[in-house]
Amino acid sequence: MIWATRTSVHIDRAACAWLIRRFIDPDASFVFVDDAAEVPAEATPFDMRGAELSHHGDDCTFETMLERYNLADPVLWDIARIVHEADLADERYDAPEAPGLDVLLRGLSMIRGDEEVLAISRPIFDGLYEYRSRTTLLGREPS
Amino acid sequence: MAQLLDGLVALPLDARNREQLEWVADDIADAGGEATMWIGHLASRTEELSIINDLAEAVAVEYRKLVAEALAACDLEDVGRRRTLGRLRRELRRVRQRDYFPPPEAQQARVAVESLAKVAEVSA
Repeated sequence: MIWATRTSVHIDRAACAWLIRRFIDPDASFVFVDDAAEVPAEATPFDMRGAELSHHGDDCTFETMLERYNLADPVLWDIARIVHEADLADERYDAPEAPGLDVLLRGLSMIRGDEEVLAISRPIFDGLYEYRSRTTLLGREPS
Repeated sequence: MAQLLDGLVALPLDARNREQLEWVADDIADAGGEATMWIGHLASRTEELSIINDLAEAVAVEYRKLVAEALAACDLEDVGRRRTLGRLRRELRRVRQRDYFPPPEAQQARVAVESLAKVAEVSA
């Protein structure tokens, strides 16, 4: 499938792209547009105005995707809390990792194009998933 | 945020502000209302500077409050001082996120909170 989102990806879009490739559509390809009118007809838009897969109410797009695709993995919802705070910083959740993750993604987007940001951030999110998985299994932070 | 008139406010244009307002506009549309995004430019540089000064003064007030709280916390007992330090660090981070035109008080607040951290470290 082709997925479309806005250019200059930051935390929510990078996290969504990781989620799509790892849990929804392993063969996903992405296009980046400046305006919703530029989304190709065959593409599924996300994190864009007017798209179903976007912010809804107080939820960021990552949270919307977990709901729409019925992804109940508690580790993904744990990551969703971090992504939510990194994106919105509304203090809905206690996520001390969020400001650091936000800075990493913002910095990356300053020096790399969108495709590269997705490629570089992919193992970062894989690592975050692994870390939070082990935290869940151990019931404490892994050493 | 600068209050220009009743019902009219100005926010600096950056990616985060723009995106947040877009989501608000979508929420309004989802609820059956109408909302469009407009980006404004002041015709006068002098008026623009006046708004910038208002924005800087608004965060300067918050920085001054942080400085006062950091100084006052130096006299607290250890536990209270550490608790206050954590809260002030978080508050400083929040203020900096909405500080687009840093006034001199920004540096003063940072120094005051760092000084409180040093006092807390020495007494640990």
